[in-house]
Amino acid sequence: MVSVIEHHQHILDFTISSLLRRKGKNGALLLVYTLIVFILASLLFFTNALKREATLVLNEAPEIIVQRTLTGRYQTIPIAWGERIRKINGVMSVRPRLWGYQYDSVFQANYTLTVPAENPPESGSIDIGSGISRMRSAFPGDIIAFVGHDGLSRSFTIRNILDSESQLLTSDLILLSEDDYRDFAGIPLDQATDLTLRVRNPGEYITIAEKIVQMYPETRPILRSEIQRTYDAVFGWRSGLVMVIFSAAALAFFIFAWDKATGLSAEERREIGILKAVGWETSDIMMMKFWEGAVVSLTAFLAGTILAYIHVFFTSSALFAPVLKGWSTLYPAFRLTPFIDFAQVATLFFLIVVPYSVTTIIPSWRAATIDPDAVMR
Amino acid sequence: MKKFILVSTLVLWTSLTFAAELKPHKVGSRDKCPVCGMFVAKYPDFAAQIQFRDGSTFHFDGAKDMFKYYLNLSRYAPGKKPGDIAAVFVTNYYDLTLVDGLPAYYVMGSDVYGPMGRELIPFTKESEARDFMKDHKGKSIIRFSDVTSAVLKSLD
Repeated sequence: MVSVIEHHQHILDFTISSLLRRKGKNGALLLVYTLIVFILASLLFFTNALKREATLVLNEAPEIIVQRTLTGRYQTIPIAWGERIRKINGVMSVRPRLWGYQYDSVFQANYTLTVPAENPPESGSIDIGSGISRMRSAFPGDIIAFVGHDGLSRSFTIRNILDSESQLLTSDLILLSEDDYRDFAGIPLDQATDLTLRVRNPGEYITIAEKIVQMYPETRPILRSEIQRTYDAVFGWRSGLVMVIFSAAALAFFIFAWDKATGLSAEERREIGILKAVGWETSDIMMMKFWEGAVVSLTAFLAGTILAYIHVFFTSSALFAPVLKGWSTLYPAFRLTPFIDFAQVATLFFLIVVPYSVTTIIPSWRAATIDPDAVMR
Repeated sequence: MKKFILVSTLVLWTSLTFAAELKPHKVGSRDKCPVCGMFVAKYPDFAAQIQFRDGSTFHFDGAKDMFKYYLNLSRYAPGKKPGDIAAVFVTNYYDLTLVDGLPAYYVMGSDVYGPMGRELIPFTKESEARDFMKDHKGKSIIRFSDVTSAVLKSLD
């Protein structure tokens, strides 16, 4: 057993020193290889992390949201409608929500203002997301002012900085009390932004939505599954765009790698011939070639994956954020929650490392079976 | 046969007055429906259960299978009588909680299918059952004692 390991170790030693002898060529290969893995892994991490943020959003999302429209445009909804909707069988509860967006022209940022269902701040104080806190350097106890719907500025005392699992959700969030929000946004007492419904039985979503539209034809019920589909479509489309750009680069690389891996240069054939002449077995040469492929692809895989992780989760995907995030101009900087799906990393591994290691073996096996005398001549 | 069911239902009624405080048990991940053999925990929206006086509990993946078991105890639970049953629970359609199956209303022939196909959909309130029948093209509302082997056969 020990001798088998030693045998491998010696061959690996030889392989590495032989790789190092041709620094320039192998270095270039490694660089391109790493770059490809880096782009691919960045894409993987980024879309995965975004999808996970979306799932976090949806976990909190109610089963059905009821909006009111006027001439096809969104409109506030009378709270009284909720009482009739509550009487529909299968609706466990109806909650009117108050929320909206606010554009801050000074800081050129969009805020989301919400009245939370539980533990709202008392009148005159607010909770803000970490993005706003960072941008306006505001901390608990500070007084911060926002301009309301009538152009008048209102000041609030900061109660808390929100710290949540998903930064996408809370980065630009402002939580305030119902009275403050009605005053701030100018929503009358009997109106709400929308109504959220809790429905236990998923089989009833469609029936309930139909009944609501029958009851109030100008409403638009939105099911959670529809929100999910929209998120999926948006992320899917964006990652598809990057995929297209990337696939051209990938193709170029594959041709390069295929050429490198399958065709042996005359110099390499000569090397194999000499090794055979000094007494190497065919199996030893194949093992050496296998280790060569494994060293190159594994190094590229590890380096690329680690760089991608740093790129996505520490620099907020600086390189392709403009393509992937449509709202990046609206949101204050946010960081994705580090999240890795091991199944996908494994897929990447098998797509990158295994084919390369295998393709290097066949041509070297062919070369290794040729008579050394013929190769060296 | 019909008389037997009537009597057994009566026995069940009286026995339940003593056991009104029985609570439904949680379905374990390994609990199988004794009638069809499927894992019940995968389909909690239709689950039903029967608790016996000796403390044993059986989970079913729908009211239909629960009735099959109940109407044919000699086959599925040899040695047990309807009088040994302490409580019957079915899943109320609208809020998906386990409720007492005896006073429940069951809608037949609706377009809502359970894991075993056509189902008896249980409701605690008659008004809910009527609304459901209207919404989901149900054919009739029946009570616990109305369920016979013939009725179940029409669902298979």
